[in-house]
Amino acid sequence: MATIDSMGSNRFRASFEDPDLLLAAVKRLKADGHPVQDTYTPFPVHGMDEALGQKPSRLPRACLAFALLGLGIALAVQIWTSAYDYPVIVGGKPAAGIPAFIPISFELTVLLAGLGVVASLFVVARLRPRFRFPNLHPGVSDHRFVVAGQVRAGSSFQEVRATMEQMGAVETALLVEDQFHRPRSLWQEEARPVVFILAFAPAVLLLLALPLLNRDYRLRNRVWDGGMMEAIAAQSFDANSALPGGQVLQAPPAGTLSRKGAAPLAYGSGKAEAERAGRELANPMSATLENFNRGRKVYERSCAACHGRDGDNNSSVIVGRGLLAPTILVSPPVQAMADGQIFHIATFGGPRSMKGLGDLISREDRWRVVLYLRELQKGAAPKPTPNAASPGASARSTGAKP
Amino acid sequence: MSDPRPFRVPSRDLTKSPFPTLADIGDQFRVASWVLLGLGILCFALGFSLHPAQAWANVLLTAFNLTCVGLGGLFLLAIQSATGARWSDPILKAHRAMPALLPIAGALMLLLWFGAERLYPWSRPEALADHLLHGRMAWLNKPFFFGRILLFFVLWILLGHRLVSKGGGAALFIVVFGVTFSLANFDWLMSLEPAWYSTIFAIYGFSGLFLQGIAIVTISAIVLRRVGLLPQISRAQNHDLGKLLFAFSCFWAYIWLSQFLLLWYANIPEETGPARLLLSRPWAPLFYLNLVLNFVLPFILLLRRESKTQEQVLLVTCFIILAGHWLDLYLQFMPPVLQGGNPRFGFAEVGGILLQFALGHMACWPVFMKDVDPGQEIPRLD
Repeated sequence: MATIDSMGSNRFRASFEDPDLLLAAVKRLKADGHPVQDTYTPFPVHGMDEALGQKPSRLPRACLAFALLGLGIALAVQIWTSAYDYPVIVGGKPAAGIPAFIPISFELTVLLAGLGVVASLFVVARLRPRFRFPNLHPGVSDHRFVVAGQVRAGSSFQEVRATMEQMGAVETALLVEDQFHRPRSLWQEEARPVVFILAFAPAVLLLLALPLLNRDYRLRNRVWDGGMMEAIAAQSFDANSALPGGQVLQAPPAGTLSRKGAAPLAYGSGKAEAERAGRELANPMSATLENFNRGRKVYERSCAACHGRDGDNNSSVIVGRGLLAPTILVSPPVQAMADGQIFHIATFGGPRSMKGLGDLISREDRWRVVLYLRELQKGAAPKPTPNAASPGASARSTGAKP
Repeated sequence: MSDPRPFRVPSRDLTKSPFPTLADIGDQFRVASWVLLGLGILCFALGFSLHPAQAWANVLLTAFNLTCVGLGGLFLLAIQSATGARWSDPILKAHRAMPALLPIAGALMLLLWFGAERLYPWSRPEALADHLLHGRMAWLNKPFFFGRILLFFVLWILLGHRLVSKGGGAALFIVVFGVTFSLANFDWLMSLEPAWYSTIFAIYGFSGLFLQGIAIVTISAIVLRRVGLLPQISRAQNHDLGKLLFAFSCFWAYIWLSQFLLLWYANIPEETGPARLLLSRPWAPLFYLNLVLNFVLPFILLLRRESKTQEQVLLVTCFIILAGHWLDLYLQFMPPVLQGGNPRFGFAEVGGILLQFALGHMACWPVFMKDVDPGQEIPRLD
């Protein structure tokens, strides 16, 4: 360090109007042995870091650390949530399907790296609220390129000024001491509590969040329910030791009938009951175009997947996959059945593996399906084999008449 | 500094300088490239006798890769010109030389007229019976297909010549390049497997082309600086090239994932077939190696700022990327041609690689040597 002379300062500034001149001047000052403190320029000057002899920035390391942190958090959260905490198979992919995690991992990596490196810059460059940067020259934010340095021992300010003016300086001046203070470190006492709080805030937040993370897994889906738990429907599942079964909700007494819908069908399942229904029940639906169209709609929605659109097992999905072939609806045995028997089978299920659709299709619609099926059978009846081309087409065209 | 040349006892001819001149180096290079060319053609001849389909696929691969090199140089030149960039001025020599490959690549592509049936299912007679191929016959038929090849190459060579010699028409070239290169990708690569399609395919091809283009420019710049043809190249140019390599290696991986992720997630039968083959046993190591060569290794090697400026690191990375791009193309060409068989590496592959080096050198060296005194001595290599 140079000695401070009796006038109190040996520090000077020299301003230039061209970045290249400044660069040359810095190199010259260095070569002459004057310590160069810093330069102040409106924009970064190429090659100035090397000329000042500054060490490479440590920010890239912070950037890498934050990037790895982001990557780690993203992968950990995704793998934990989708493979351990709440595994749900989506699209037949493995629970921890890494390709699906890549976009989010990438985003979080970039986000944390970006935010982290800016935060690190604030810390490293000691930028903080009310930070006052030494204003060496009002022009440094606009058109002036200023270098600040010290006159080396054994030289004089006049000598430096002469050199600088020779190098193209437009102005050279001695600095008063307070113009040259270095910003105080963030670690100095006034800032210390703030930094302390900031540093420990994540840990405190994490501790506060632990009870949430540590919840009882048997209560899954019952936390953060948004008022769902206050609903009467939910409360009926509450525990109550005074009641049989220990629960508010009780099973209805045996023989209870639903108040919704029509009177129950007085039939059980099975072939004998189906035949009884065939003898006792008649189709209450008249053969109107409306009923026919409704019947067709329901048939194509609920029956055609297995029986085929035309009731002949062509276009049947399960036959196409080599599964069990259902009864061909347009075949003579089914044609011989009474309406009531077909209705019974649609309600309670067939003799082999068909399940009853009574829960899914309303009673009226089942009767309408029977109506539509009769029309299908009319169209198919003359054809000897079920493979004959499109018997349903004629059925539909004839069926559309009434 | 005194004379940088090392002291050396003159051996034979005292009147002649002991240092090689550019002409000497050029002679050595020329001999080497003729030897490589001969060996390459020999390998191809063996390849054709052993497995014609594989050999034709390698003709296509070689032609396509040479096209990529030529277009890569032109496209880089076009963006420098369109943006008025000045950082690249010292290395533009490399950009200007690469388009010299386009006529050779075009000739190789047209040669495929004789082998199209081996490669493209739509060009076989039985395609008429295939509903899917028959429906695409309006676009995928031999005269139109090769007409398009001719049109593309004529456009590229004409616009490229104007760009290289006069520096004009950069914006027009970029637009034409965007359309024609996309169509070329769909035609030459995607129609190998006509039922398979990917809408991001063209930009995937472009990302590989661009990455490889930067790698070749970097290699050329370093080599030319070492033989004294580009003395102006400084650390700053190396750093810029390193940053470009790093960025576009990441870009390639981004596009690669964008294509793969959708195939993997959507699981649509006609799209999944090729991906599934690549992910199964004999192909899977190559599939992952592709990712390692094009993205993982360059990423790790170039991550540090210092390594982006070091010529050795840059050279190693560039050659890794060249190998990666070759493998990338191999993985696109070979599975459909081998019809789901195991990967094969034979004479034809060796021949293709040798030809690429030989033709690349033969086309580009004369452009480098233009306006240069061939008697210029090579400075000491550092």
